[in-house]
Amino acid sequence: MKAAVIERVATWENFLAVLTLAVLAYAVAAVPNFATNFNLSQAIAGVSERALIVLPMVFLIIAREIDLSVASILALCSVVFGVLIQAGAPLGVAAVAVLAAGALAGAFNGALVTWFGLPSLVVTLGTMAMFRGIGYIILGSDSVNEFPDAFTDFGINTVGDSAIPWTIVPFLVLAPVFAIVLQWTAIGRRIYAVGGSPDAARYAGVKVDRIRLCLFVVSGVVCAIASIVFTARLANARADNAVGLELDVITIALLGGVNVFGGRGKLTGVLYALVLIATLRNVLGLRQIGGDAQGTVIGLLLILSLLLSTTAQRVYGVVAGWLRSAGSGGAGPGDPPLSTSNARERRK
Amino acid sequence: MCAALLHAGLDTLPRVAGAPAAMAGLRHAGKRFGGTIALDDASFDLRPGEVLALLGENGAGKSTCVKLLAGVYRPDSGAVLVDGVPVEHWSPLEAQRRGIAVMHQHPGLFGDLTVFENIFIGHMPRGPFGVDRGRMRAEAEALLDAVGLSCSPDDTLRQLRTSEQQLVEIARALSADAKVLIMDEPTAALSQREVERLFAVVAELKARNVAMMFVGHRMEEIYRVADRIAVLRDGRLMAIESAADLDRDRAVQLMVGRPLSAVYPPRRASVGAAVLDVAGLSHDEAFQDVSFTVRAGEILGLGGLVGSGRTEIARVLFGIDQPSAGRISIAGETVTFPDPSAALAAGIAYLSEDRLGQSLIMDFSILTNASLPVIGKATMAGLVMRRRELGLVEPHLRRLRLKFRSYDQPVKTLSGGNQQKVVLSKWLATNPRLLILDEPTQGIDVQSKSEVHAMIAELAQQGLAIILISSELPELVGMCDRMIVLREGRMTAQFSHDDVDQERIIRAATDADNVGAEAGKPDVVAHAPEADITDSLLRRVLRKREVGLACAIAVVALPVMLLNSRMISTENLIAVAMDAALLMIVAVGQMLVLLTRNIDLSVASVIGLAAYGSASFMHANPDASVLAGIAVACAIGLACGLTNGVVVTIGRVPAIVVTLGTLAVFRGINSLVAGGRQISADQVPQSWLDVTSTKIVGVPAVVLIALVTLGLIALALQRLPAGRELYAIGSNPDGASLIGIRTTALVLGAFVTAGLLAGFDGAMWASRYATIDARVAMGYELTVIASVVVGGVAIRGGAGTVLGVALGVLTLLVIQNGLTLVRVDPLWLQGVYGLVILIAVSVDTIVGRRVQHARGRR
Repeated sequence: MKAAVIERVATWENFLAVLTLAVLAYAVAAVPNFATNFNLSQAIAGVSERALIVLPMVFLIIAREIDLSVASILALCSVVFGVLIQAGAPLGVAAVAVLAAGALAGAFNGALVTWFGLPSLVVTLGTMAMFRGIGYIILGSDSVNEFPDAFTDFGINTVGDSAIPWTIVPFLVLAPVFAIVLQWTAIGRRIYAVGGSPDAARYAGVKVDRIRLCLFVVSGVVCAIASIVFTARLANARADNAVGLELDVITIALLGGVNVFGGRGKLTGVLYALVLIATLRNVLGLRQIGGDAQGTVIGLLLILSLLLSTTAQRVYGVVAGWLRSAGSGGAGPGDPPLSTSNARERRK
Repeated sequence: MCAALLHAGLDTLPRVAGAPAAMAGLRHAGKRFGGTIALDDASFDLRPGEVLALLGENGAGKSTCVKLLAGVYRPDSGAVLVDGVPVEHWSPLEAQRRGIAVMHQHPGLFGDLTVFENIFIGHMPRGPFGVDRGRMRAEAEALLDAVGLSCSPDDTLRQLRTSEQQLVEIARALSADAKVLIMDEPTAALSQREVERLFAVVAELKARNVAMMFVGHRMEEIYRVADRIAVLRDGRLMAIESAADLDRDRAVQLMVGRPLSAVYPPRRASVGAAVLDVAGLSHDEAFQDVSFTVRAGEILGLGGLVGSGRTEIARVLFGIDQPSAGRISIAGETVTFPDPSAALAAGIAYLSEDRLGQSLIMDFSILTNASLPVIGKATMAGLVMRRRELGLVEPHLRRLRLKFRSYDQPVKTLSGGNQQKVVLSKWLATNPRLLILDEPTQGIDVQSKSEVHAMIAELAQQGLAIILISSELPELVGMCDRMIVLREGRMTAQFSHDDVDQERIIRAATDADNVGAEAGKPDVVAHAPEADITDSLLRRVLRKREVGLACAIAVVALPVMLLNSRMISTENLIAVAMDAALLMIVAVGQMLVLLTRNIDLSVASVIGLAAYGSASFMHANPDASVLAGIAVACAIGLACGLTNGVVVTIGRVPAIVVTLGTLAVFRGINSLVAGGRQISADQVPQSWLDVTSTKIVGVPAVVLIALVTLGLIALALQRLPAGRELYAIGSNPDGASLIGIRTTALVLGAFVTAGLLAGFDGAMWASRYATIDARVAMGYELTVIASVVVGGVAIRGGAGTVLGVALGVLTLLVIQNGLTLVRVDPLWLQGVYGLVILIAVSVDTIVGRRVQHARGRR
């Protein structure tokens, strides 16, 4: 009984929630200028793109894939957008074209992974370089800086008088959709199954390749949306936009409890991780600590949190065993006998 | 020498004089895992020249006994004895040293290594120049002969079939020249003829006074081979008696705890219309021209040896593979199934023989597993409703009398029999009209077995058409209305329930004309000439990789040379060579890490940190020797590599996550230390800058250093056992620890070496590029990984050569140089690199697939 309660309470999400609230509390209490409307809106705006891109990234990692090319797709779409605007295209047309470009890029990734059966790590490593390279071919090292006012307003303004910038709204709209799809729909179940065991999923009639392809296309489209947000926020379209963003996004996903081996993870944890990292970056920035050094803190956080997690699991496994045996007085009929995977797990 | 003795015959075998003292055993041994008692107060002896069989249901403790004796587990209470003395410091390595050899149930073999390496890994014979390959090959040939496997010792293990791989596992156990041999379900994947061969080997070993333990499920085999039988139930030893004294019924009774009649449910064939009709069905090499019909209410059996094509037929019927010829009809309509969901929609369900890998997702709950194929039906307005989900699944689970705590219990906590019930429920929930069962009772306890049999009979009674694939002859004979026997992909006989017996099935399943002495060389003979062809094809392919890269280099270099003759100028060549040297040093370090199935994304940050560290050291101590500067860089690299390695091995955090973190951490430290400053060429001693540009016999020093480094590492990988063990770790990490390879130490070593090389590279970088700030080598990890991947190192571990890496580096740099010389915008280079990676990996896959196809394997 006790073991069940501990199991329910000692989850990664809860741990992360506590940590996030602690950091937020510290920030509000001890960091001057943190809790101002302006600063909060800046902090939130700063993670608008990462927040968007982490949504499909979580799906991909759960399905045992990964997309390292997200930042490059963002850059490429940003370039396409800028070039189209510069050529006089209306905002709507440019936006649609960019979404199509993102979808195409995603489909390219997906096709290589499904039709050729190549590991997504290698494919997206290649397309990470290739897509940005195409961006360079289109725009070189120039940038597009002239955008319609309506567009740049979107990038700067907040909703009414609140601290919520318009740039985070796409995320606020999409996040619940992604969360519901993952946890409550049949497709979500199938995605988990593909990550849990691609073979078992295929044999259960799940269309594994189609799901993978769709996930990559969705990733591409969301990156395209993120590129519009990014370009609006910085009022700048260049081929070297968002270098290194993919690592940040993956860090947020992993910190949020998504298992790198697939089949496990929830969006709730990821949302906490997002808030945590946004807060940390903001606080460090306010304390005059630069970008690279901020990376140190985030990197350490990632490693330590996962170390803690694996150690805690090992400790918990032993403790739970003791509690269970103490409660039921020894191995009973309901107790799990050893299967091969059990035995492997327990080998020291 | 074990093999030579086996060859020479019984006369020359040494005899141990005196009474049979126990060679190994357990004394009051106990083992717990958390709250579960796996073994309680077990004591038995393994005596020389004798076979002790362990009998028991799943979860009875047989595997635990094996692992205790093998050194994989240490007893929580009691002791493991060797030569009558309790052992201390027990481990797989120690067990091997003491003369205990183990044939594991799920072979710990390494698909990327050759057959002879698999046989000797962990105890490779050494010569003056490291590992003695010639001796290994020769001995391997003798061993392969002894177990009846006709393949070349140089074949890659991956090329062999499962049954052949099992034979290699047996050869491996024999190679150890052990006093004690433990066999854990050695016949599970073997065909009848191969089992006979194994028993012949056991008989020879008996005469050699080797003490043996045999764990198995099939009563006939156990009674054939055992001198004494030990029965386990729920972790306790119920009895040890001689096989002659213990009759089968009593043995089963002891195993199960009550008398159980192993009678199959009575058959009454009330057969309906044809559900499935198959005509002339073929699939490449797997099976040809198979035709049969299955009616509603009928159980059709598919019999035959392992590898005869039965599972392949099932896979085609279920849409996993596509037939190359023939027709499938369901209820009169011709159908094609592009994937399993189409087959499911047509009412076909397939219960796979691979429960762990294909039927269940082990970490997921009973409910999730059981509802997966029909999860679409459990939704309302697109959302999954738990009540509906339960409704789809509950009736079947209850019908099968599943023993469980809750629906949310992970299936891995269930016994084998209960797991299989979940699988069966899963398929019943799809409301099939045709149910294909592939070894449905393999590896499950007697009680569950009979429950499953009863269920199958009941389903047939209710009008389901059933195809039953089984290697257990009593099951086939007892359950089926009709039976088809296959041999090497062709139908050889059809029987009905009345006119069949086990003997007739065996005869139809094996080559009836070739009984006798030649029976030792089974189906493998037919494949031997093919094996030669595909073997040399594989060699050709391997050579192709290096040749292919050389060609790619030529293809890029030649036109550039024509367009801009500066390419072959000494200046340019030296510059490219130095770039190549710098890249090769870190690339080969990355290869070591990749070999073990890990990755190091932090390599560029380490270079940057080491470069800045050594440069600022030389700046602060201009009179110090350049060696000191290099030492500083190496120390930094070492520390970084150690950090990575420790968190990966001891912290058990996946490498991709760790190095993603350290990539940021090291770069951040670099940033903090540098504080925005820059160290330029005039701030360091000239001797420092000269380190890389000094020429020895016209060649820059750094190039020579790189070549020496690569040479040493290539030699180490080939000649040192630790080198081969690196490949083994990447090829099969679990198998590696099972046979006692020091995985932790080796993986740690790989990371430390990679860090050291990156650190050293940092020093060279600082010397070469003079101006150093915190952004040195940013993004360089892409180039490193690209060159390694292009060079043929597999991301999944276990494969790769130093030569390949060198050529991969050259390919990338020649492309870079070529593009620069023809005035292509350097910014475009990234795009080109990306394309090159994609092409290289795609080509690899296509070629690999073509080779597999030529081999005609599944």
